[in-house]
Amino acid sequence: MEQPMGVEFSPDRQVVPGSPKKDVQKEGPVPKKPDVHKGTDRLMDRMKKVDPNQSERYRQRTGE
Amino acid sequence: MKTIVGLETEYGALLSGPSQGMRELFRQEEMFQKVRDHVFYEQRMGIIDQHQRAYDEPPGNGGFLLNGGRLYIDMGHVEYATPECHTLLDLVRADRGGDQLLQDAVNEMGLGDEISFIKNNIDHQTLATFGSHENYLVSRDFPFTERGMDPLVAFLVTRQIFTGSGRVGASYVNDSLISLASDRSPVTFQISQRADYIVNKFYQWVQMNRSIVNTRDEPLSDPVQYRRMHLLLGDSNMSEFATALKFGTTKIAMDLIEDGKAPRIGVLDPVRACRSISHDMSMEWKVQDLEGDVLSAVNVQELFLEAAIREFSGRDEDTDWVIQEWGTLLDDLSKKDPVLVSDRLDWAAKFVMINQFREAEKVSWTDPWLESLDLEYHNIDPEKGLFRILEEEGRHRRLLPQSLLETGKNCPPSFTRAEGRSIAVNRILENPDLSYIIQWFGIQVNQGEILYMLEPLKTYRKEVGAYFSDLSFPPARF
Repeated sequence: MEQPMGVEFSPDRQVVPGSPKKDVQKEGPVPKKPDVHKGTDRLMDRMKKVDPNQSERYRQRTGE
Repeated sequence: MKTIVGLETEYGALLSGPSQGMRELFRQEEMFQKVRDHVFYEQRMGIIDQHQRAYDEPPGNGGFLLNGGRLYIDMGHVEYATPECHTLLDLVRADRGGDQLLQDAVNEMGLGDEISFIKNNIDHQTLATFGSHENYLVSRDFPFTERGMDPLVAFLVTRQIFTGSGRVGASYVNDSLISLASDRSPVTFQISQRADYIVNKFYQWVQMNRSIVNTRDEPLSDPVQYRRMHLLLGDSNMSEFATALKFGTTKIAMDLIEDGKAPRIGVLDPVRACRSISHDMSMEWKVQDLEGDVLSAVNVQELFLEAAIREFSGRDEDTDWVIQEWGTLLDDLSKKDPVLVSDRLDWAAKFVMINQFREAEKVSWTDPWLESLDLEYHNIDPEKGLFRILEEEGRHRRLLPQSLLETGKNCPPSFTRAEGRSIAVNRILENPDLSYIIQWFGIQVNQGEILYMLEPLKTYRKEVGAYFSDLSFPPARF
């Protein structure tokens, strides 16, 4: 069946259900061990820009 | 795994500008309505409900999406429910699709400086908590008795060592009822967001007296065949790995229980155990079984893993992936170093990140800045969120290729009735004069015959196509 306009069905790969492992391998290697020093500068820069008082403004209604 | 899983997420919202106290809640709700209306009326990513779904869900409150999922406002939160998913990768993709749907709307409306959606479960100022609800399709034969559920409770209480999202500080919900003299140790950081709010083993309500296992019986499918296990105790994960492992291991645990193959284990005082494990950053995570013997949460998880290897190895790709990663992770957790698992688990990633910052900036654990960083970890905006940097730089494992990530907000998962629902949503978008009622388990158009979709593992593509072909509007473009 041709798919209707505007709807994207999953590609045929999912005729056999995929797994996270399978697709990660397709995409290339992933870090197996954490490198806590890599990219620290960019992360630290962003952390320093976080408003120290923003948690005071973050008040939510209780949900489920 | 021949099953259906789904995830409901209530998002928090951080608004810019000076705090307006409780008035902030009204501002939030107004903003939620704007974003929702943009998604449905401007972006046409779904169809808004025309009928009263429930006492608190009037017409226009929300609707179904092109991906088969649902977006709505519930109890002061924007809530997104994924469509029914058959594989772990589909679940992760659909979950990320919700983030993308909201962020795209915010960006398109030019509201990026005014609102941030925060995918977490607490605020640090009040006792408010909001949910991440997991849904698992199980057989009606599932042993849904207090005795039969002991292994499930033991599994759920101990799985937080890899499913927790971590948080700065603690909440003592019972203190709102009666203030007890406290000799408890201060909690600077804990592994779960929801553990402090779980006060029952079993209960049917979802807003008060939250329980380890929610007993509401609402299958949203054939009630003779199925039960929908609805869990409230989990955290909202940013990590794709943690999301996949949470659903994968939990479904395996349920399969073991249903087949009578689960380890014969229960945990004494599971509510207290839930909290004590979460608060224990030494990673000892001691619990007592029903005989009073002490073992660790890792030991309990290993019992389930051993049973899974014995019963389900080779069952399908998802199961094998779960078994392999579960084993590796438990080995790493037993070494009691959060750094070793910070590439896969939210709580560890957040702890390592905040601790590094704390040491570099020489701030104490009680500094409110750390609470703000805790929130920012969960910001779904890639331009602001702290977790997103970890992902982008390869410091946290991703499961979704970029090409699949882009499809989550408008692509239904395969092999489930979400496909048929997606076709129906699209048909109605093409024919705006139709009146309709869409439910998880069926559709009705122009007050005609109801097309029931009671089997979640069936796509209903042909049935939905035929249903719309029979209606008196221009021929469907199949």
